[in-house]
Amino acid sequence: MLLLVLIALMLTAGHLEPKFVSSRSQEGLLSHVWDLAMLALPMTFIIITGGIDLSVGSMMALTSVTLGKLYIAGHHPLWLAILAALCVGIACGLLNAIFITKVGVHPLIVTLATYSAYRGLAEGISLPEIYSGFPDWFRSLGQNTYGSLQLIGWLFIIAAVFCAIVLAKTPFGRSIYAIGFNETAARFSGLKVNRAKVIIYTLSGLAAAIVSINYSGLRDNAQANVGLNMELDVITAVVLGGTSIFGGRGRILGTILGVALIHETREFVGWHYHRNEYVPLVVGALLIVAVAANALLMRRSSRT
Amino acid sequence: MTVPLIDIRNISKAFGGVQALAGVSLDIAPGEVHALCGENGAGKSTLIKILAGSVTPDSGEVLIGGQPLQVGNVRASEDAGIAVIHQESVAFPHLSTYDNIFVGREPKTLAGLWLDRAMMRRETKKLLDRLGEHFDPSRSVGELSVAQRQMVGMARALSRDCRLLIMDEPTASLSARETEVLFKLIRQLKSDGVSILYVSHRLEEIFLLADRVTVFRDGKYVGTKLKTEITQDDLIRMMVGRELLQVEGMVKSETEHPGGEVMLDVRGLTREGMFRDVSFSVRKGEIVGMAGLVGAGRSEVAQAIFGAMPLDAGVVSVAGENLRSGSIDAALDAGIALVPEDRQHLGLVLPMSVGANLSMAVLPKMTRAGLLASGKEEALAGEMIRDLRVKTANARVPAETLSGGNQQKLVIGKWLATRPRVLMLDEPTRGVDVGAKAEIYKLIREMANGGMAVIVISSDLPEVLLLSDRIVVMRQGRVAGELSRQDATQEKVLALAMLNANTQ
Repeated sequence: MLLLVLIALMLTAGHLEPKFVSSRSQEGLLSHVWDLAMLALPMTFIIITGGIDLSVGSMMALTSVTLGKLYIAGHHPLWLAILAALCVGIACGLLNAIFITKVGVHPLIVTLATYSAYRGLAEGISLPEIYSGFPDWFRSLGQNTYGSLQLIGWLFIIAAVFCAIVLAKTPFGRSIYAIGFNETAARFSGLKVNRAKVIIYTLSGLAAAIVSINYSGLRDNAQANVGLNMELDVITAVVLGGTSIFGGRGRILGTILGVALIHETREFVGWHYHRNEYVPLVVGALLIVAVAANALLMRRSSRT
Repeated sequence: MTVPLIDIRNISKAFGGVQALAGVSLDIAPGEVHALCGENGAGKSTLIKILAGSVTPDSGEVLIGGQPLQVGNVRASEDAGIAVIHQESVAFPHLSTYDNIFVGREPKTLAGLWLDRAMMRRETKKLLDRLGEHFDPSRSVGELSVAQRQMVGMARALSRDCRLLIMDEPTASLSARETEVLFKLIRQLKSDGVSILYVSHRLEEIFLLADRVTVFRDGKYVGTKLKTEITQDDLIRMMVGRELLQVEGMVKSETEHPGGEVMLDVRGLTREGMFRDVSFSVRKGEIVGMAGLVGAGRSEVAQAIFGAMPLDAGVVSVAGENLRSGSIDAALDAGIALVPEDRQHLGLVLPMSVGANLSMAVLPKMTRAGLLASGKEEALAGEMIRDLRVKTANARVPAETLSGGNQQKLVIGKWLATRPRVLMLDEPTRGVDVGAKAEIYKLIREMANGGMAVIVISSDLPEVLLLSDRIVVMRQGRVAGELSRQDATQEKVLALAMLNANTQ
C-alpha cells in the first residue's frame, strides 16, 4: 500500500522533474535521511508498545553539546568525548525508562518533561557557543561514502535488519506487541514488561547519540539546537509507516517505507517549488491521508 | 398492609442468553424496610438497576404510588423519588461535597449564569447535620472516608425528597460504629415515611432492620416473609434451594483422600484493606475450592500468591521453598499459574492469534537459536487445541473471535504449557455455556489427577461442591473455615460465608 504511494510519487516526480529521480541526485539526497531513519527504529518499538518518546531531538542536543564541550572547549581526547556522548544518550533514555516503569508516569508526560529538560540542560551548558573545529578524520567519517553509502547509512541498514528480525522473530519482539495490545495481560503472562520498556527507551537514547555524533562530524559543529523538532518528524514517519499509535501493530518495513515517503515528498516539494515553506503542509496532508486510508482498510477488513 | 409505595410486577430481563430476572414481583409499603437477599447472581443488582432506570426490563412494570414508572430512564426514576446508594456511590471524587449533592440541578443566580455556591454550601450543611455528620461541605469527596462518602450519597438522596431509598451492601466497608450511625439513620428515615430496599449479605443486619425479607434465586422470585416468621436457617435454605447441579459423576476425585505431599502452603497472608492472616495449604493432586461472597478477598489472595499484588505480611511456599513476595517471576519459576477471573483484560491478548496466546507464557521454550520457531509454536497450539477441545478454525485467527468458553480454554492452555505445579483458577466457568462448563470441570479434575495442586475460586456454590476435595471459605478478607468434602453442604458453606463467627 505505502509502496504503491511511494512508486506513484516517484513516477509523478520523474514526470515533473526528470532530474530528481536520477540515481545521482537520489544519492546526494540520501545523506539527509539517515538521521530520521535511525531514530525511527527504536521509535517503532516504542510506539508499538503504546508509548512515545518526545525527547529524541533534545537527547540529540544534549549529546551534541556533551561532545563539543568535552572535545572543543575541554580539550579532552575525541574518543573520550564520543564515549561520553554515547553514555549521556544512554543515560537520558534510561532516565526516561525509569520514570515510565518505576514511577509509573505515562511516557507522553515523562518525555514531554525531558523534552524541555534535556534541551534546557544542553542550552545551559553550551550557550552562546557553537562548537566547531573537529579533526579531519572525524569529519570524513561522517562525510565520506563507502561503496555509495555513508557510514551511518551502513549502520542503519545493519540496525534495520537486526530490528526487523528482533521484532518479528524473537520472544522479545512478541512481548513488544503483547504489551501494546494489553499490558496487564502481558504482565499476567509472565512477560518482562518493565525490562522491555527499559531496553527500548534506552535504545532511543543511544540512537539519538549516534545520530548526533554523526551530525557533528558531517557539519563540523555541535550545538544546543541540533535535532530541533526532530521528534515530530520521527513520529510522523513511524505512524505513516502503519504503526498504530494505540499500540500493538506495526513493522520495521513499514517504518522504512514511511521514512522514505516522507523523505522523498519533502525533497521533491523543496526541489520542484523551490520553496521549503510548502513542505510541512504537504507532509501533514500525507499523514492524514495515509492514516485515514489505513483506518478505512481496517474497518473494511474487520467487517468481513 | 397499606397501599404499597412501589409495586414491581412480573419483571424479566435477559442479558445475552442469560436470564438475569424471570418474572419477579415485589412490593414495598411506605416506611417499610424491605430486605432483598440471594446468592451472587440471583438478580438483585439487575433489579436495582431497573429501579434506578439504568437498565430497561424486557417485560413487566413498576408502579410507584399507583402510577406506572417510565422504565429505563434515569431521570424518570429520580423524579419519582427513587435513589440508590452504592458502596461507592459518589460520582465525582474531585468535586466538593456540595457539588456532588447538587450536580445536575445546581441553584443558580444572575439569570442562571452563576452557581449559587453559598446556598449550596448552606443546604449541604443542613443535610449533613441531619445525618449527624459535621465535616466541611467544601471538602472534596475524594478525601472523605468511605463512611462519609456514603453519607454524601444519603444527603444527595435526601435533598431530592426521595421516597424509596435503595441501599446496596451499605455496610460492606463500614466499621461497627459507623454501622450503628447508619442504622440509626435508617430508622429515622423509616419514621419519616421513606421506604428502604435494603440489599445485604449480612443476615444479622437483615434481622435487625428489616420488616420483611424477599429472596431471589437464579433470577427467580422465591418468596417474601415477615421477619418474625422465619429464622436465619430458614432464610439460608430459601436462598440455596434444593436442586444441585449434577455433571456426570466423572469429576469426583479418584482417591477418597488425595494424600500427596503439601505443594502450596500459605501462612498469614495479609494485605491491608483486602485480606488478613490467610493461611491454608494444597496437596499434590488435590482440588481446593475457595468459596465466599464477592468481595471476600478470594481473587486478591490468588493474585498475591501469583506475585501480582504486594503483601504486607505472610509467606507463600511451594514444595517447601519460600517465594520472594510480590514477584510474578518468582511465582512462575516456582511453577505457580493463575487463570484470572477477568480473562478479557488479564488472561488473553485478544487481538493476537490463538497460537500466540497459547505460547505467551513459554516463549523462551519456543525458540531455535534465539528466534521463534514457528514449528514449535504450531506444535504447541495443535496439542493444546486438541487436548482441550478448543473450537477454533485454526491457530492463526485472533483469540477475540472465539466464544467465552473457548477463550477460557485458551487461558487454561496457556498455563498448562508451563507445566505448573500449582494451578489457580478464578471463576473458571463464568460466562461459559453449560457444555463447555462440563468440559472445563473434567479438565480441572484431569489436571489434579496428573499431580497438580489446584485451587478453584468460584462464587457458584454447586460448582465448588462438585469439584472440591476440600473447601476453604472466606469472609471479609479472612478464612472463615474449612470444610472437607464429606462435611460440605451448601448450607454450611453459606453459613460460613455470611454469618459472624459469634452468631453461628
